[in-house]
Amino acid sequence: MIILQKILENINYLGGIALFLIGLHTVVTHSNLIKRIIGLNIMGTGVFLFFVAIGNVTGGEPPIMTEDNIGAIFINPLPSVLILTGIVVVVSMTVYSLSLVIRIFETYGTIDQKELTRLISEQNNHD
Amino acid sequence: MIEQLPIINLLLLLGTALIIPLFKKRPFQLSLTLCFLVLLTVLVSSVFLLIHVLEYGEFYYHFGNHENLIGIEFLIDAFSAFFTVFVAALVLVIYLYSWKDKTEGIENKEFGRYYILLFILLFSIFGILYSNDLFNTYVFIEILSITSCAIISIKRKKETYTAAFRYVMLNEIASMSYLLGVALIYMITGHLNLERVATSLQSIWPLYSTNIIIAIGFMTIGVGIKAAIFPFHIWLPDAHATAPSTSSAILSGIVVKIYILVLVKLLFRVFGMEIVEALHIKWIMLILGSAGMIMGSIFAIAQKDVKRMLGYSSVAQIGYIILGIGLFTEAGLQAAFFHIISHGIMKAALFLSVGVIIYYKHVQKLKDFEGIGYQMPISMTVFSFGALGMVGIPLTSGFISKFNLGIAVIDANLIFFLIIIILSGLLNVVYYFPIVISAFLKDNKEMQKIPHIEKVPNIMLIPILTLGVAIVVLGLFPNLIMDIIVSVVATLF
Repeated sequence: MIILQKILENINYLGGIALFLIGLHTVVTHSNLIKRIIGLNIMGTGVFLFFVAIGNVTGGEPPIMTEDNIGAIFINPLPSVLILTGIVVVVSMTVYSLSLVIRIFETYGTIDQKELTRLISEQNNHD
Repeated sequence: MIEQLPIINLLLLLGTALIIPLFKKRPFQLSLTLCFLVLLTVLVSSVFLLIHVLEYGEFYYHFGNHENLIGIEFLIDAFSAFFTVFVAALVLVIYLYSWKDKTEGIENKEFGRYYILLFILLFSIFGILYSNDLFNTYVFIEILSITSCAIISIKRKKETYTAAFRYVMLNEIASMSYLLGVALIYMITGHLNLERVATSLQSIWPLYSTNIIIAIGFMTIGVGIKAAIFPFHIWLPDAHATAPSTSSAILSGIVVKIYILVLVKLLFRVFGMEIVEALHIKWIMLILGSAGMIMGSIFAIAQKDVKRMLGYSSVAQIGYIILGIGLFTEAGLQAAFFHIISHGIMKAALFLSVGVIIYYKHVQKLKDFEGIGYQMPISMTVFSFGALGMVGIPLTSGFISKFNLGIAVIDANLIFFLIIIILSGLLNVVYYFPIVISAFLKDNKEMQKIPHIEKVPNIMLIPILTLGVAIVVLGLFPNLIMDIIVSVVATLF
């Protein structure tokens, strides 16, 4: 019962780490390049969830100051702001790697890593 | 005024990257000259900052005049000022070389875009070195990752795409690991500023040791993948071999070193010696470094392509630097920093002289190098100096760094690693000397009749000659920079 309680208390952190690991597993094991990029995005989401979860304060209010809530406990807005930057970075990384996949598909005609490795090694032996 | 110079440097580099597209209709020479002037200005102002810092001590730059509790902070001390001077000077030389070397598969209309990427890359390097904030460093690292992948894939050749894809995947895994480490640190300290994090880590280290251990693991592995420390080096040979020569020189000589410097910052300034010693990071780094030194050289022996060989040689040389840092003594760090400089110069010289040969002969395989010393004496001589430096022959800068590293290892009472340094030096001989010998010493009458004319533009020869001279000058007068390195190391202890 205590373990269940612990899990429920830290569910945000656990979810973040779980997403991170699922993403890492996808990147490392899948041979489809698009799926790898999706895996990276899942990994990124895991880290972002973890980061945002840090900012939470139990019983805190959204950090918007009005006349009513002076002196109230606010949640920490900084992690959310940082993660905005992180999201932008991951989007640009995704765009760049997707454009690379397009080029790879144009030149090799496949986006499967195993197929690519075979084609490249054939080409090297040919030289 | 002098307090504003770091931000002016950054703005100049970023501004130039934005201005280049506007010059599209004008003659290309104009934007080339403009970029040259900007690089020169940045170099001069970095030198100015270095002199100022050495004389009056470090200073901080606060963005928007917010104090470091809530704002972003730049720290300009001997460490950042010295390495920015190194980066600016080396990039200036490589930039001059890149004026003419368009043959390497970069199309003419993409050439302007290449410089946009180059300047954004420099901008992020300066940012990483100056920054005194964990998250700000992450953002600059990401900019550096994207641009360094893009200067590989800009070359329209089949292999570059797969190499760049692998690089970008590993880069992103590494960035995410680093960010998770930052999150874990922020969770327990509530700060992102390096100094504030360091002070609070000292006091809460026994309380939250699990967090700190996981954070240090994620951050070290993240930066380690990007710095190509031995077991994480798999992306490096492909990426460096397929890139255009100038990109290879920049990636191998500068970008990889920047990540090592980030690692140094993390270990010495954020976590501090107490935590590092408690977690036995010293031994992990020593073993990884020496494994890299041996395995990188063994892989390099098996290569048939000269640029792949140079890539694996980089893995071995990074092993030396990691070994020097892993000693965690002042002498070890001095040797490591000297090797960062001397390896940067030597690798740039090697890649650029190979680039001249590729430009002229369009060959990249080792077997085609036979007798090439008679046809291209200048570039092959510079290549030989670089190779001698890599092996560690006296009179070259490579000797000084290996000598210092050997002395540091003896001081630390770890004789076993001295044997590995010598063994790795011998392995370097095995793969560097055959090239030099087959290029110069093959007794071939036909080769000697070929006229010694290098139909290579002077603007490409002058940079590689400069680098060749720099190797020898640093080998003869190491104290030119050793005195500065001593004060750089003093800022870390």
